[in-house]
Amino acid sequence: MEAILSDISVLELTHAPSGAFCAKLLADQGADTIKVEPPSAGDQMRHEPPFIGGEPHPDRSTTFLALNTNKRGVTLDVTQAAGRDMFLQLAAKADVVIESFPPGRMAELKLDYEKLKAANPKTILLSITYFGQQGPYANYHGDDLIAQATGGFLYAVTGSTHKPPMGTALQQMELTAGRNGVIALMAALLQREQTGVGCHIDLSVQEAAVATPSGLVHPYSFTGKNPRRGSGDTNVMDGMHLPTRDGEVTLTTAGTGGRPMEVWSEFLGEPRLLDPKFATRVSRQENWEELRDLVAPKLKEWNNLDLMRETMARGLVIGLVQSPRQVLDSPHLAERGYFVELEHADAGTLKYPGPGFYFDGANPMQTVRAAPRLGEHNAEVYSARLGLSNDDLGRLRAAHVI
Amino acid sequence: MAAPTLLQGVKVLTLEQVHALPWGTAFLADMGAQVIRVESAGHLQDRKAGPFPNAKPGEEWWNEGGNLAYFGTRNKESLCMDVTHPAGKEIFLKLVKQCDIVTDNFRPGTMRRYGFDHDSLEAVNPRIITLSSTAFGHTGPWSKAGSRARTIDAMCGMSALTGYEGGPSLRASNNYMDHSTGNNVAYALLLALYRRNKTGKGMRIDLTMQETGVSCIGPAILETQHGIARSRLGCSHLWKAPHNVYACAGKDRWIAIAVASDVEWAGLMQAMGNPAWAQDVCYDNVHSRWQHRHDLDKLLSAWTATQDDKALMALLQQHGVCAGAVLTAADLVADPHLKQRGFLQDYDRAGSPTVGVRTYAGRPFRVPGVPMSIRHTARMGEHNDAVLQQAGLSPNEIAALAEQGVIFNRPRAGEKAP
Repeated sequence: MEAILSDISVLELTHAPSGAFCAKLLADQGADTIKVEPPSAGDQMRHEPPFIGGEPHPDRSTTFLALNTNKRGVTLDVTQAAGRDMFLQLAAKADVVIESFPPGRMAELKLDYEKLKAANPKTILLSITYFGQQGPYANYHGDDLIAQATGGFLYAVTGSTHKPPMGTALQQMELTAGRNGVIALMAALLQREQTGVGCHIDLSVQEAAVATPSGLVHPYSFTGKNPRRGSGDTNVMDGMHLPTRDGEVTLTTAGTGGRPMEVWSEFLGEPRLLDPKFATRVSRQENWEELRDLVAPKLKEWNNLDLMRETMARGLVIGLVQSPRQVLDSPHLAERGYFVELEHADAGTLKYPGPGFYFDGANPMQTVRAAPRLGEHNAEVYSARLGLSNDDLGRLRAAHVI
Repeated sequence: MAAPTLLQGVKVLTLEQVHALPWGTAFLADMGAQVIRVESAGHLQDRKAGPFPNAKPGEEWWNEGGNLAYFGTRNKESLCMDVTHPAGKEIFLKLVKQCDIVTDNFRPGTMRRYGFDHDSLEAVNPRIITLSSTAFGHTGPWSKAGSRARTIDAMCGMSALTGYEGGPSLRASNNYMDHSTGNNVAYALLLALYRRNKTGKGMRIDLTMQETGVSCIGPAILETQHGIARSRLGCSHLWKAPHNVYACAGKDRWIAIAVASDVEWAGLMQAMGNPAWAQDVCYDNVHSRWQHRHDLDKLLSAWTATQDDKALMALLQQHGVCAGAVLTAADLVADPHLKQRGFLQDYDRAGSPTVGVRTYAGRPFRVPGVPMSIRHTARMGEHNDAVLQQAGLSPNEIAALAEQGVIFNRPRAGEKAP
């Protein structure tokens, strides 16, 4: 099957994981995606640890490598007049432009939506910022932690009752914003088929955090109660992580036909689980330490993969708390062809996660390249798109425009 | 408010439960697609899920839950019909003929048992797009395993990476994987529609929660291939410091502060009145601040402890410091920024006076021409007549189906309230 977005071109001028991930999701489906980075240092993410090989290197940051698959990379200083003009020419040929400057900065550069629209009315501009294009916090600084805080996630979702607020690893609010970004962009692309014109989309990472991972607004509005962290602290059968021989597991009462203690008592070979003090969800929480001390030693007898196979055969639902290594080595994912290998001139061959969906049985993740090296495609892009000669490029390089 | 015209004419039939898939199809419903949710009398957990007004299920609890308006039957139509009954199955296949997309989140094999697998539906409608959203997919040794969003959080590697610094693993969320999967569902379906506009071809989509989850931890997957292990850091960061939450005045009030650069550090020190301890060389640069981050956290906490979280957020931001109050649900509903942006929607549930006006989070993006607000929440079986008439059934035939119990618009007699 031909890549679905192979007729779409994307220009990415972003400074945070949200925009990079959003553009990656498009590039992985075949969009011709050009990442525009400032000359010399490049994207800030290139300098973020950890690095493959240990030592800092602009092409070996795992964060950068993970979020920039299948893109081409150019350098361009859009704050110089020549660079700004080149960007506008590239934008005029692009279907989608993604940017993440603070609100107003694109206008200062004379690259705001009105300017892009004048150059090409079909261009779709997606602006991703932490707090959106307008409103009292629009100029506030943010990062993923700030989005978790102001999105309600930190207070209510991950942490424990008696401890400070705590959130997720690996910048999930940024990724959620990126996932919302591709939904918005697909809507804009479909709308353009009907109207023939593009539009300017305003996307806020804070709002992505509120709308998606936290989901606290309507429960509060309905009940008047503030959801608070720690719901799983004392929940042995439906929340806690417990050690196995080679890892950890979390149990559920699902698939037990409403008789969780009978079924788990039989499975684990521990008749004391039938004690009436463990009969209800409330009483299990009241006696959670005692219950944990009965369940934990039994689980410790199991290897993760055996436990998964045997519970699955009985229709029970568990979660293996897998390490990234165990995920990578998963026989299940191997059989499904989930991971795809991408080449990187400097970092070698890397196995990447696929998108999580298969079209007619095939993993649609494109395998053009891992991430681009800094300015790797300057000559290719600037000669093909802008008709620049080698001499032109030399002059631009000397002036630090590229 | 009128529906967007964007997906006008696109018809979706969905056999969906719980969270991930209903969240995904709600995007299409928002955009103007006719999304027909086919519901069964035997599986009312979504209508039992609440949240209910004042946390008490009312007399008509099956039409009152807040999750219904937020995603369950949001802008969708409700057809309550037993598709395992021969008459129900025949109607379902009639509807498939007229529709564009069929989605389900049964375990693999169930749709085949009903005669609704992709090949059977494609035989009825060659342009059909089908999407099956499951825990582990239709192939592989775990394809038959069930899940909860929390167990997927564990299975995909997220939980192992999440936890307080030096502490045990913790699940990131009870529903983050549902939401991520739902977002991925919307993306996959819009890609499929985009392709069909160009090629005229439908397709079969096998989408999984576990794999969506793994796609959330990309850097860690690359790192493990080179022997790099990520430790759990709580609210701390791999290289930024200070980067944590700090207690403020009041009960359980906190502020998050994240300093990435020397400029932000200078702003923070200025906001703090340039304390003497900051002259210490160990706070001189990014790396050194990170090495002394635990000391730094104590010094900052001493300063934040007496201050109001929201006032401090404003003060720090005025000094160019990346800071955010740790907001509660009550704070979010009253948040002046979210209000001014029109992000929160006060939606009046027509036909459910016990629910009335409640506040809902909006969508995080504004696409001009495509408003994504809640316009309607389908009551149980509300659209039985309209949908069946569209399928060509006469009023008499519809009445007969109701008589036989194939269609219904309320729970069975004896169904327990939640």
